[in-house]
Amino acid sequence: MDEKKKRIHAIAARIIFLVVVLLIWELVAKSGVMGDKSELIFPSLEAIADAFVQNFIQGFAGTSLWVYIGNSMRLLLEGLLIGIVLAFLLSGLSMVSRTFYEICNLVISVCDLLPGVALLPVVIIIFGVKPGVITFLVVHAVLWPMARNVLDGFFAVPRIYVEAGRNIGLKRVSLLYGVYFPASISYIVSGLKVGWARAWRGLISAEMIFGVASCPGIGLFINQMRTNMNNAEMYATLVVIIMIGLIVQYGVISPIEKSTVKKWGMSR
Amino acid sequence: MTNRENDILEVKNVSKVFDVDTENEKEVLRDVNLKVGRNEFLCLLGPSGCGKTTLLRCIAGFEDYEGSVAVNGVVRREPGTDRIMVFQDFNQLFPWKTVEKNIQYPLKLQGIRDKAVLKQRTEEVLEKVKLSGQEKYYPYQLSGGMKQRVAIAKALALKPEIILMDEPFAALDAMTRNELQGELLRISETENCTIIFITHNIQEAIVLGTRIIVLAQGGRIVVDEKNKIQRPVTPASEGYGATWERLHSALYQ
Repeated sequence: MDEKKKRIHAIAARIIFLVVVLLIWELVAKSGVMGDKSELIFPSLEAIADAFVQNFIQGFAGTSLWVYIGNSMRLLLEGLLIGIVLAFLLSGLSMVSRTFYEICNLVISVCDLLPGVALLPVVIIIFGVKPGVITFLVVHAVLWPMARNVLDGFFAVPRIYVEAGRNIGLKRVSLLYGVYFPASISYIVSGLKVGWARAWRGLISAEMIFGVASCPGIGLFINQMRTNMNNAEMYATLVVIIMIGLIVQYGVISPIEKSTVKKWGMSR
Repeated sequence: MTNRENDILEVKNVSKVFDVDTENEKEVLRDVNLKVGRNEFLCLLGPSGCGKTTLLRCIAGFEDYEGSVAVNGVVRREPGTDRIMVFQDFNQLFPWKTVEKNIQYPLKLQGIRDKAVLKQRTEEVLEKVKLSGQEKYYPYQLSGGMKQRVAIAKALALKPEIILMDEPFAALDAMTRNELQGELLRISETENCTIIFITHNIQEAIVLGTRIIVLAQGGRIVVDEKNKIQRPVTPASEGYGATWERLHSALYQ
């Protein structure tokens, strides 16, 4: 009963907060306190809602926002997949070879601190302006935090699981797969969270800095809205970006947590 | 020669030094020699730090050591399913697998794929440890005593040559402990299995063991005797007091 009350309280608090923020926004928009630029800085909620719908129907230059979203998501998924697979490969090899671990550790420490956007000029000079560049940046964004987390997870596996595993005949790869991997799942999930967040940011920034005409994404869309002073559309696109983030959090990451760490009693 | 065929385990000149060539260098085992007969329930008693756990871990193949350990005359250095360890730590079950899967996973690794066989084997061993019907629980939903029962069931399901037990009941409350002792005794009497059981509890050694060894520092064997007290052993059994005194004085000498 108490648990239920807390839940209602949490939802109510959030809804009230949201409504108040939106009300203030609308008041500011309607009052025109910002002078001439008021309409640009604070478009009214109706204008934003209308722009939200129009983004999908008309889009920009005849291309619906759906197409932009599709392109972004495709590059993102590609990058995430490659990044995650590489992260497991690096951490797996690090567990097998001490030399590899030392080198890998150094590379992760260095690369993790390097913002992907800072790499952009170099990557463009080498590869040219291609969708592959954005995939590269997404891989860069996911790989290092993910590899770091997986490695930390592997090292935090209690010795008793490893010994119990060896006792029943697991060795090397089967031990990695049968014990290290499931035992460090909470680290892997948190690596996934950090990796996804970084990849999402990296993707949008890369798309904003340079748009690939053959594969235009959400970042490019928002930039085009800015260039054309379509400010309501700009805000509407921000809402879309937030919504995609929420969908991934509650539609992908939470279910993964529920079916692993929570189900196994490894976290509350 | 008949005696030799009855030995299931032979530990020969096993020595173990921790932290070699450092200031913490510590010799834990020195030239330990031990033979264990088939279907023996061997209780190893010893004070803390005498090397009993290390000896068991060497037998299990978890440690590097000098000397040799042979099972049925074959030298074994690596861990294997012929020697299954039951740890003291309750968290020895894989938390990501249910009770049933924890028991079946090692069997699957052994190449047993037939679902009916797996199911039947699981029910059989769970019945032995009195946990029938608890197949679907995850380890975090079980009490400490239940986890230890599952660990024993898991070992039994594998039908190992030897079950190694490192104070499996030491962290349990006295009631659960007595209960589990009784069940282990019943299991050991009905199953064909050899058990090496570490404890520092004299009562436990007398109740369970068919043979009792007391170790001193360095794994030196100071007492090695058959337990001749009529089973089931209670403190009122004939010879209990004398045995207890003898073991106690060997333990605290």
